[in-house]
Amino acid sequence: MAALGAWGSALVPARLSRVARALWGWRARRGLVQDAGTADEGKATKPSFEDETVQNLLYKMTGLNLQKVFRPVKKELKPPKYKLMTEAQLEEATRKAIEEAKEKLIMPPVLKEREPIDDVLAEDKFLEGTETTKYVFTDLTYSIPHRERFIVVREPNGVLRKATWEERDRMIQIFFPKEGRRVIPPVVFKDEHLGTVFRQDRHEDILNMCIAQFEPDSPDYIRVHHRTYDDIEKHAKYDLLRSTRHFGGMVWYLVNRKKTDGLLIDMIQRDLLDDATSLITLYHMLHPECQSAKEAKERKLQGVDLIKVFVKTESQKEGYIQLALQAYEEAMATSTAS
Amino acid sequence: MVQLGSRLLRGYRGGHVVIRFALGGCTNRPFFRIVAAHSRRARDGKYLEQLGCLDPLPNAHGERVAGLNLERLRHWLGCGAQLSRPAEKLLGLAGFLPLHPMTVTGAERLRRRAQEAAAPPADGPAGPGDAP
Repeated sequence: MAALGAWGSALVPARLSRVARALWGWRARRGLVQDAGTADEGKATKPSFEDETVQNLLYKMTGLNLQKVFRPVKKELKPPKYKLMTEAQLEEATRKAIEEAKEKLIMPPVLKEREPIDDVLAEDKFLEGTETTKYVFTDLTYSIPHRERFIVVREPNGVLRKATWEERDRMIQIFFPKEGRRVIPPVVFKDEHLGTVFRQDRHEDILNMCIAQFEPDSPDYIRVHHRTYDDIEKHAKYDLLRSTRHFGGMVWYLVNRKKTDGLLIDMIQRDLLDDATSLITLYHMLHPECQSAKEAKERKLQGVDLIKVFVKTESQKEGYIQLALQAYEEAMATSTAS
Repeated sequence: MVQLGSRLLRGYRGGHVVIRFALGGCTNRPFFRIVAAHSRRARDGKYLEQLGCLDPLPNAHGERVAGLNLERLRHWLGCGAQLSRPAEKLLGLAGFLPLHPMTVTGAERLRRRAQEAAAPPADGPAGPGDAP
């Protein structure tokens, strides 16, 4: 809710780059995007999450189910409003709805885990024994970004050090509270309680809560996201995240770890062949040294042939995918025949 | 109604701007606001600007939380504000100003007193034992 509120003020609902850069772009300027420093070698050898081509592929796979995106969110109860419209007005309203949906589907960034802060500013050993508890000083200047804020800790042994990331997040939430974020993270994010959430099929809700609570490069954020993706992959509940902003991140995670078989089967069973081909294209972009990538480049395969080559060389669950493909082709044959 | 206003609309003779602590909170629960105010004003009275806060009681994580608006602090110091001694000590601990000499002196005194408390009991039982 909070993150969406901030995103509602975006200027033009462009699909990814402009709005995404306006929201998350300051992080790039502050050097948070990991490939900023190694831009040249990075683009040549390994595509990153933020690349245009990668984002396009992930966006295509996410799908755009308006019913699901604008599904009623629990708000205060108001009676529904009915409007009488002409065809042209209806088309205009649908077009605006699609643009708003695109804004809601902007993918949150995927970053590496942040390095722990370990910086001592002063050592005054003669202060040892004067105090029993530490002091945490926060700079409350309004105009500096939170990443550059000075938060220092004076320990009882006299050492003046920079605050750790957890202390920083807590202090910033105390003095500059953000909606949807708690000072102490809710207990639901602990591993033993995530299982309960997954059993209730509320993966999307927990991911939204996680985005509101944690910073994208914090270890808790990454851990919760990875657990969610692993659970979805184990139980093949891919449809829960389809047409949400988390789908791209999930696909990126699975492709990086080469666990794409379940997703491929799911796509073929739902007759989403384009998505399947984009998935395999993404796989080849990320793992160009694998055999199916080389074959695909040599013979310039498209569509079902690409999937067949991929299945033969790379996948573990070859049998299942062959079955699914067969079922799909039979369905296509009967539908064209009838 | 005029009686209410007279405390707030006072004009003082002399005095200067100080940055000091204003005490708030409840019984057995102090809370300080770091405040720029005229020196002749009441401690908790009308101030010019609040520059931060300090919670002297440790929280659940065992830390005493203090916030300081350094930009405005620098502005008031540039305008010639004085600092009270506790405010100077706090800023010394924060690292914004150098450590206050009384902080160092206080630490030394504490250590000396702790040593004296430890040393005489060691000498005490040994003393009468040495005497015949």
